[in-house]
Amino acid sequence: MSLVCRDISFAYNGSRVLHQVGLEVPAGSFCALLGRNGSGKTTLLHCLCGILTPESGKMMINNKPAHLINGTARAQCISLVPQETEQIFPFTVLDLVLMGRNPHLRGFAMPGADDEKIAWQALELIGATHLAKRRVNRISGGERQLAAVARALAQQAPVMLLDEPTNHLDFQNQYHLLYQIRRLCRNRNLTVLASMHNPNAVAAVADRVVLLEAGHAVLQGDVESVLTQKQLSRLYGMPLVESRLRGGQKHFMPVGDFGR
Amino acid sequence: MSYQKTLWALGSILIMLFFLSLFTGQMHLTFADVAAWGRDWLEPGRLEPSPKSLVFFDVRLPRSLAAVLGGAGLAVSGAAYQGLFRNPLVSPDILGVSAGCAFGAALGLILPGSSFGIVRALSFAFGVSAVALAAGIARAVAVRQVLVLILAGLVVTSMFNALLMVLKYTADPYSQLPAIVFWVMGSMHRCSWADVRLIAPVILAGLALIFLLRFKLNILSLGDVQATSLGLNPRRYRIFFIGISSLMVAVTVSACGQIGWIGLVIPHMARTLSGPDHRVMIPVTALMGGAFLLAADLAARSLTSAELPVSILTAMAGGPLFAFLLYRNRARGWI
Repeated sequence: MSLVCRDISFAYNGSRVLHQVGLEVPAGSFCALLGRNGSGKTTLLHCLCGILTPESGKMMINNKPAHLINGTARAQCISLVPQETEQIFPFTVLDLVLMGRNPHLRGFAMPGADDEKIAWQALELIGATHLAKRRVNRISGGERQLAAVARALAQQAPVMLLDEPTNHLDFQNQYHLLYQIRRLCRNRNLTVLASMHNPNAVAAVADRVVLLEAGHAVLQGDVESVLTQKQLSRLYGMPLVESRLRGGQKHFMPVGDFGR
Repeated sequence: MSYQKTLWALGSILIMLFFLSLFTGQMHLTFADVAAWGRDWLEPGRLEPSPKSLVFFDVRLPRSLAAVLGGAGLAVSGAAYQGLFRNPLVSPDILGVSAGCAFGAALGLILPGSSFGIVRALSFAFGVSAVALAAGIARAVAVRQVLVLILAGLVVTSMFNALLMVLKYTADPYSQLPAIVFWVMGSMHRCSWADVRLIAPVILAGLALIFLLRFKLNILSLGDVQATSLGLNPRRYRIFFIGISSLMVAVTVSACGQIGWIGLVIPHMARTLSGPDHRVMIPVTALMGGAFLLAADLAARSLTSAELPVSILTAMAGGPLFAFLLYRNRARGWI
């Protein structure tokens, strides 16, 4: 299922955050959204999954106008892993993941045995079955992040939006999670748009990259053409050096006395 | 204890308390009396009202039923509000429903020629209006809806409390003022079959709807961003749950007066017993709320020769119980 948006603009109380943003995420691809803090990444993701309503612009989900797809139907198409996953009530991780089944429950229906099976499968996919019976206030921020990803997987939506999915995750879990999601893109045709901060992780897993600068989508395309030393240095305002790892994957490091 | 066992245990306690409530009071009644009335009732023309049967059927039975319904309604409203506002310290009168009800009742009590029916009607109308006013203020502000709604509730509560004080100040100190004070204190002794007929449909319908939609409360407690991404319209559900809960509280308060603490403490007790999942917690809360108010009413009319207002007992029991729950759950994360 592809995701296309054209000329999306959004403002919070008159303060414009997105300026005619257009992007395209082909079905089954992993697209990374790169940009500095406050560049509009979260706002764009929230516009795409219906949390915010853009002032103008068009969105198409699998060539169908998004405004024709209502809340439940949209949640069946698009899942979201939010930036903040802290819970007020200490549900178990399994209860939390089961909530991902909500878009598939009609009327007064409650999650049943099939939904529970899907929730367990989602936990298994990201290697988090050991967390199932633990309460969310008794696990680490990284483990809560895994639970949020499992919930989005349990939603079984063909498009997944992730807002800084590797927040709080340790080094191993960051790459484990990203590779699992990329595997789902390849094997299950999952379409992914993820806002990310680490260009090296983006180079490792993404098919496409969108650079967002002060609410403008300044550049987009495949990793090879967009993720360059010149573009990233300009985007982040810092000198970078680009190198290639043994497998040919790009790798970026800050240079000079920046940050020292 | 498993969910089923918890429900059975609480259901049994509720039934025991209900029967205890029917057979406890100044007038001594036995099972034999009730069995005799039952036999007479089966034979047309033989059942003649006696003081004992009147006390049983027209005083204790409606009063006990009202206590079960009111307790369950207040407790479940509290649980729904706490889930909805993502705040375990919220009680169902946070949006001003109780303050509105108290003002409405006081107005009814000082208006010349008004009956108890008018007092109840005004109480209900002002209780619902208070919530509508809080919702209207929140809608006008239109940012950070949940937080602003709570603040608007505080504004409305304060306003109606001030208006109540004006009424108290202007009321006749020998007849009207005591009536207002006793009404506000809350008691089950006024509850008749007319009250049961009034509150039962509203509370049973409210309980049924919240029971059916209790899974949605789990999702709403995640906050608007996550709820929307999971296909729920948080605003629509918020209006729905606030509407249902406020109606349940308004009918209870208009019939029994202000009864505090149940909506705050009972959801905490239920969470301690069954965890925070509303699928499990809502039925547990309903049974506990019914049992708690029934027990409080039983104590209110048994502890002393003159009946105590039930809200004194719910506060006296609820306060320390809440402190104990805060201590007991200090590391469990639902405070």
